[in-house]
Amino acid sequence: MRYYIKKVISLIMVLFLIMLLTFIAFQVIPGDSALSRLGVDAEPEAVEALRESLGLNKSLPERFFSFLSGAVRGDFGNSYQYGKPVGELLSARLSVTVWLAVLSIFMIIAVSVPLGLVCSRKEGGVADRIITMVTQTLMAVPAFFLGIVITLIFGLVLEWFAPGAYIAPGEDFGGFLRYMIFPAVAIAVPKIAMTVKFLKTSVLRELKLDYVRTARSKGNSERAVLWRHVLKNALIPVITFMGMVIADVLAGSIVVEKVFNLPGIGRLLITAISNRDYPVVEAGVVYIGSVVLIVNFIVDLLYQKVDPRVRIK
Amino acid sequence: MEKEKHLLELCNVSVGFPQKGKKMNPVTRGVSFYVREGEALGIVGESGSGKSVSMLACVGLLGGGGRVLEGNIRFLNGEDYIILNTMTQKELEAVRGDDIAMIFQEPMTSLNPVMTIGRQVEEMLLLHGDCPKEERKKRVLAMLSEVGLPDPQEIYGKYPHQLSGGMRQRAMIAMAMILRPKLLIADEPTTALDVTIQAKILELLKKFQKEYGTTIILISHDLGVIRSVCSRAVVMCGGKVVEQGDVGTLFEQPQMDYTKRLLAAALGKGSVLKKEPAVCRGEAIVCVRDYSVFYEEKLDGKKRKREVVKKVSFDLCAGETVGVVGESGCGKSTLAKALAGLNPLTSGSADISCENPQMVFQDPYGSLNPAKTIGWLMTEPLRLHHVGTKEEQRAAVCEMLEKVGLGREYYGRCPKTLSGGQRQRVAIAMAIMLKRPFLLLDEPVSALDVTVQEQILILLVKLQKEFGLTYLFISHDMNVIHRICDRVFVMYQGEIVESGDVDEVFRNPVHPYTKKLLGARL
Repeated sequence: MRYYIKKVISLIMVLFLIMLLTFIAFQVIPGDSALSRLGVDAEPEAVEALRESLGLNKSLPERFFSFLSGAVRGDFGNSYQYGKPVGELLSARLSVTVWLAVLSIFMIIAVSVPLGLVCSRKEGGVADRIITMVTQTLMAVPAFFLGIVITLIFGLVLEWFAPGAYIAPGEDFGGFLRYMIFPAVAIAVPKIAMTVKFLKTSVLRELKLDYVRTARSKGNSERAVLWRHVLKNALIPVITFMGMVIADVLAGSIVVEKVFNLPGIGRLLITAISNRDYPVVEAGVVYIGSVVLIVNFIVDLLYQKVDPRVRIK
Repeated sequence: MEKEKHLLELCNVSVGFPQKGKKMNPVTRGVSFYVREGEALGIVGESGSGKSVSMLACVGLLGGGGRVLEGNIRFLNGEDYIILNTMTQKELEAVRGDDIAMIFQEPMTSLNPVMTIGRQVEEMLLLHGDCPKEERKKRVLAMLSEVGLPDPQEIYGKYPHQLSGGMRQRAMIAMAMILRPKLLIADEPTTALDVTIQAKILELLKKFQKEYGTTIILISHDLGVIRSVCSRAVVMCGGKVVEQGDVGTLFEQPQMDYTKRLLAAALGKGSVLKKEPAVCRGEAIVCVRDYSVFYEEKLDGKKRKREVVKKVSFDLCAGETVGVVGESGCGKSTLAKALAGLNPLTSGSADISCENPQMVFQDPYGSLNPAKTIGWLMTEPLRLHHVGTKEEQRAAVCEMLEKVGLGREYYGRCPKTLSGGQRQRVAIAMAIMLKRPFLLLDEPVSALDVTVQEQILILLVKLQKEFGLTYLFISHDMNVIHRICDRVFVMYQGEIVESGDVDEVFRNPVHPYTKKLLGARL
């Protein structure tokens, strides 16, 4: 129990640090937010008035405190560009990104675990060689190209979906999910290729260990050896890897969002950066930082669950 | 008279593994022996002699593409024989565990690390026959207590890493014996264990043989182990059976040279290698007083120092070999590492007349960097201490290679092309490159076969004479200590409980622990 409390406390402290660094970074960036919003030709009085209303006149610690207390409540102020609260903007985009992540992570796990096991079951066999070749190729394909190919094949040739015709979840949730499958595939495929390779290496390493021989000597079939004994052991390093993949997917993919015309986090951030929409960028950095931290935290907990050797008494 | 029944028969069996390409490379040739029902048969031989391979072939667990090239392995099933080497995977799976069970050398790695002991034993019941759930747990608990594990309820839910080596091996035995197999194959079951625990595990095997009439095949490199359990033995060397017969006959009148050599090493009848005992003149070369060594432990997030070596004091004279003997965890390796300066957490004083005393470690496979050449590895100490020019360093290494019996052609070779004995020669050469008079040897021959052990010990004695070296020789093997050391320290739980002249200590041990160690020598 103490271990978990400690973990949570350190998690909170790192989150605090992320916010502090984000805040400082945006203070250091040259240029006045008010000035950049109104343009260089603006009246000095107007700039001053805006600075006043944005709270830019206050001292640094004061401003950090208001930033922090806002961030804790999910309030990052208003977007310069859209004039709407950042929280609102972000949460609307978040649902798209999260659904995309959930779909692609589901695909990654559902496809790569069986494929990885098939590969390692008969190393050098026909199935292994085909899968290895295909995954090797897919790993090298850039996401945007994969997106274009998927659009071409499933959108234009097979007409399974209308390219670019994004359906908001509020309008038609079923339609939304059906549309989301295709960008999810574009995200999942390269990651599947990596996970298969990773899992295969891990399983092959485990298969050489003594306990596998013991399991066989007890009369386990090859299938039982793999599923009952090897898989859990082989998944231990894969969990770390999956954690990185999940954090990456949750941070949003600009390219895939662009190709499929999705209103996701990635695109929001890229426009915000080019328009110097600092409140949005700040919120985005804090969001991505938190996602990475929380996913890592969950990975740590999973480790405890799967591997009794790292379990804390 | 009715023909006696053989439970398992190997007739002219050759086992091969695929080499590069597709050619099968035979590792055993024409192996023939049998085991009678209810008897305990020993298979002796050094690593690579084909003893494990022959037994793994019986249950089709060769791995690495290995298979039986010729001959038959027959197993008595009821009234008829079944031919094990022609059975399908599925048929073999039914035999494994149920009729033929196995236990292996290293109980830590042989058990699944992420499965509880209870479940691993229970799996046997799940795989063979259908036993209801409550019944299964009852049988597992009964079995755990039968192999002498205290508190089976608790052990049931534990993971392998939470048990000691001896307890893990007991759990292995429980797993193997729960179905009362006809044949139990024990592959070096006690090699990884301390001598006092070794004896208890062997007792347990004997008990099962007597009570349930289980036939046992015991594979070991140690003739002492074989003698204490088996009635008959097969001696293997280089993939062939060289001699077989009743243990009594085999041990009293060995016919073959190889058997004689094995016997000499295993039974401590090896000659004492050090002819002239060292005479202490003048100053001690090493002077240790109230020396304690600590390890830092993390418990509940708090760092704590644990005293592993407790206030030991001793002197070493020039040219002496002093043995340190004790079980794993007694602090003997920790002491050596601290003296070599590899552990800074010490108290008390240790005056060593030379800087950086060098060390030789147990595992010649793990302690040489596989990515470097022998020459690079051996010049490293010279480079680090800026001794001589590049040419001089090279010349010194070549000379040393010849001194340890390898020859200068080994300069450019990689560790992986060398055998265990050759690697240990390199490790020794590396340690004396700097010509420091004091050398710490941490189980230098424990990982080697007995005949190789012999050669390394002879080399150590020769080098000692030539360079005037002083050895602190750490070992768990009383026989080795007896053959090479002048004096011996017996360590128990971090303390030196007995010390003195080797012959004296062996003849009249005083401390009960020393008696126990000597008694466990089989």
